[in-house]
Amino acid sequence: MTSTIALPQNRTIHRTVLDNGITVLVTENPSADIVAARLFLKAGNRWESRENAGLAHLLSAVLTKGTQRLSSLDIAERVESIGASLGTDSASDYFLVSLKTVSTDFAEMLSLAAELLRSPTFPEAEVELERRLTLQAIRSQQEQPFTVAFDRLRQLMYGQHPYALSSLGTEETVSRLTRRDLQAYYQTHFRPDNLVISIAGRITPAGAIAIVEESFGDWQVPAEPRPAFDLPPLAWQTSEATPPTSRQVTTSQDTQQSIVMLGYLAPPLQPDENTRTDYIALKLLNTYLGNGLSSRLFVELREKRGLAYEVSAFYPTRLDTSHFVTYMGTAPANTAIALEGLKAEMDRLRTTLLTDEELQTAKNKLLGQYALGKQTNAQVAQIFGWYETLELGVKFDTQFQEEVAAVTAETARSAASRCFETAYISLLGSASLLSEHPS
Amino acid sequence: MNFIRTSPTAALSLPATPLTLANKLTLIHQHIPGCGVTTVDVWVKAGAIREINDWSGMAHFLEHMIFKGTARILPGQFDSAIEGRGGMTNAATSYDYAHYFMTLAAPDLVETLPYLADLLLQAAIPDEEFVREREVVFEEIYQTYDSPDYLAFQALVEGVYQRHPYGRPILGTEDLLKQRSPEEMRSFHRRYYQPENMTVVLVGDIAQDQAVDLVERSFCDFQPPGNCPQHQFEAEPPMTRIRRQELRLPRLEQARLMMAWIGPGTDAPAQEKVDDGLPWNRFRSPQLYPDPIKDACGLDLLSATLAEGRTSRLVQELREERQLVSEISSGFSLQQESSLFTITAWLEAEDLERVEALICDRFSHLITAAIDESELNRSKRLLCNDHAFSTETPSQIAGLYGYYHTLADLETAIAYPQWIQAFTSEELQAIANRYLSPYRYAAIVTKPL
Repeated sequence: MTSTIALPQNRTIHRTVLDNGITVLVTENPSADIVAARLFLKAGNRWESRENAGLAHLLSAVLTKGTQRLSSLDIAERVESIGASLGTDSASDYFLVSLKTVSTDFAEMLSLAAELLRSPTFPEAEVELERRLTLQAIRSQQEQPFTVAFDRLRQLMYGQHPYALSSLGTEETVSRLTRRDLQAYYQTHFRPDNLVISIAGRITPAGAIAIVEESFGDWQVPAEPRPAFDLPPLAWQTSEATPPTSRQVTTSQDTQQSIVMLGYLAPPLQPDENTRTDYIALKLLNTYLGNGLSSRLFVELREKRGLAYEVSAFYPTRLDTSHFVTYMGTAPANTAIALEGLKAEMDRLRTTLLTDEELQTAKNKLLGQYALGKQTNAQVAQIFGWYETLELGVKFDTQFQEEVAAVTAETARSAASRCFETAYISLLGSASLLSEHPS
Repeated sequence: MNFIRTSPTAALSLPATPLTLANKLTLIHQHIPGCGVTTVDVWVKAGAIREINDWSGMAHFLEHMIFKGTARILPGQFDSAIEGRGGMTNAATSYDYAHYFMTLAAPDLVETLPYLADLLLQAAIPDEEFVREREVVFEEIYQTYDSPDYLAFQALVEGVYQRHPYGRPILGTEDLLKQRSPEEMRSFHRRYYQPENMTVVLVGDIAQDQAVDLVERSFCDFQPPGNCPQHQFEAEPPMTRIRRQELRLPRLEQARLMMAWIGPGTDAPAQEKVDDGLPWNRFRSPQLYPDPIKDACGLDLLSATLAEGRTSRLVQELREERQLVSEISSGFSLQQESSLFTITAWLEAEDLERVEALICDRFSHLITAAIDESELNRSKRLLCNDHAFSTETPSQIAGLYGYYHTLADLETAIAYPQWIQAFTSEELQAIANRYLSPYRYAAIVTKPL
């Protein structure tokens, strides 16, 4: 029971920094006639002020809708006429442009991406259209019980921190955003020394770098340095001796299922390996609890007790204090026992050591899925570009696997006892049921 | 490495090998040396269309119960064994099929495949697990009741298929499932989990002789089929007008308009087989009847032309220019007995009628005027590249082969890009005329309560 998946090509990743500060990563993979690229800028929701929440998202929607030479339709025609894909996205910790093409079309698409990043015009009419659609999307989120419950949980946990809000922003902030805000945000963050370009597919490192030089080489670094942006730290850990406490928010909605969500503030990913022991241990516990048909929550709460169809956990990797969340959807009558069930599982990890078999199984699972998550060119470009953007470097790929393998039952328990102390609870369901379970 | 040449007249080489084993089980194998992993995807023609009306939901519930073990395997033991080795496993049920798949390190396959086969062939369906797992299925059903898009789509297909099982929910209902027994499920399982209904797709780091040997050894002990009530197909009343319904939903922030047209089923009508049997000739030989697979490819192209990407007709006009919808999409889903072409728009309730009228007008245009060359080429490249982009990993490839082999034939999975490339504007116009009438379709509009 110890074999894990090892992908054969121990691929070499070629790393270059251009004169203007752009970091280029190239992973040559000739197996399919495809090239994928991910262009990362350190400019996601984390860099938004509270009043401007949703700014990065709106910018991502308008970025592809006009440059000094091309209209929105021109841009779409260039992409779609060759069947390529080009997308933009704003995540918590980064802003992303994604490309995928057949190999021969790659140079053309990267040059288009360069034009979008270097000379966007944010046409007024397009800003207006995308703002209206964003406001609609914010309202539509209210249709999804899970999204509503998570939104409330996040606000409870994060307060004034940018991670408190969804990337779309709020109706209030988005209705106030202007073209000028987009331009100011663009001027601050969109510069070559803030850009990582990660490329994977049927392309040589030399060929890829030549194409990047051609499109991006003469992009000048602005004279003024990129302003520092430090968020006040949000403490996630407490001492092991503290008794568990909880804070709760309830949302009354007339749904068929109740949503029960239990979250904890959790460690960020630190570049320094001495300070990321808890991060690694909690990644492993996340797998143990929530990943797959044999995970602890699935077996205990679904298979043995039939309480849910969907029950899982997530612990996203973040630059700042992250969150470790477990959740399930359950019949309204089961709301209270579902919450007790989740709570009992989390408290158990603070006191009980995993058995050797549980620990080994969780490691095999985490490392196996990690390997399976690096199969396509897009996945490869994404993961290495992201590590570079987080300033961990591509070496983190190996370090992560080694550090996971080194987790012991005691380091896992100790991380759990620090993390799973102050519980944040979000319940969503019919009013009558929730009133029976006051906070 | 095998390949397909780009010219439709050139030889097409199959990168995969289809084999029929002695017990009539189909094996599709493709060796990808050095990729490190192997995917097994087992497709069973035991989807929801096999159920009689009162047994609605049985095929899907059975898919859950398969993982509850056999005389040799305890409930959950298989999942632990696969995931504990770093692999992943899951399953899905549709109208025409259920399929079960796992991806794991290539060397682990020899040890684990016999267990997957045992689950599929010898499912025990223990009484107490049946009752417990039924609660999980109920939770799955309740979850769909909180999804406006799911509810609207279900109402739409009920409007399209008034008698056919394609109009029923795959999950069934709580009331009906409560009336079913473990023994009834066992009879359904024995009847349909038979070798002639089953295709094992093996793609990855495993040589062919080893794959054949392993599958022959693992998939040998089928149960006698026994008796099980069979669905009696009734004639479906033809769509002779617009069937429009309105659905009022709570907590709705935006209205939906969904429209559906019936496309060809892959089973019908009888195909004229060309003499040399080469699949790429399908598009060159004159035929007495429309070829359903060719028409299906044409409907994929029409779908891309209408609503795939910002330059597609409906997105450009309705989202970008007139700004009447926040999103519009189109889809074609291939099914064995009757396919479905759909348009879905998210919009304000006050614009519903106007948008529906505009869509109908644009469908008329599709029938009366040929698509110009550059627009056609755009759609072709989108579909061909999508096809290439979705064949990067063993699990994607295995899924593609299993899907097309179950619904049509393996050649469709391979030759698809060539067939797409061979289309002319006139052919597409004829296909639009055959299926996409602005006067005969089903529509559902959802509005807030």
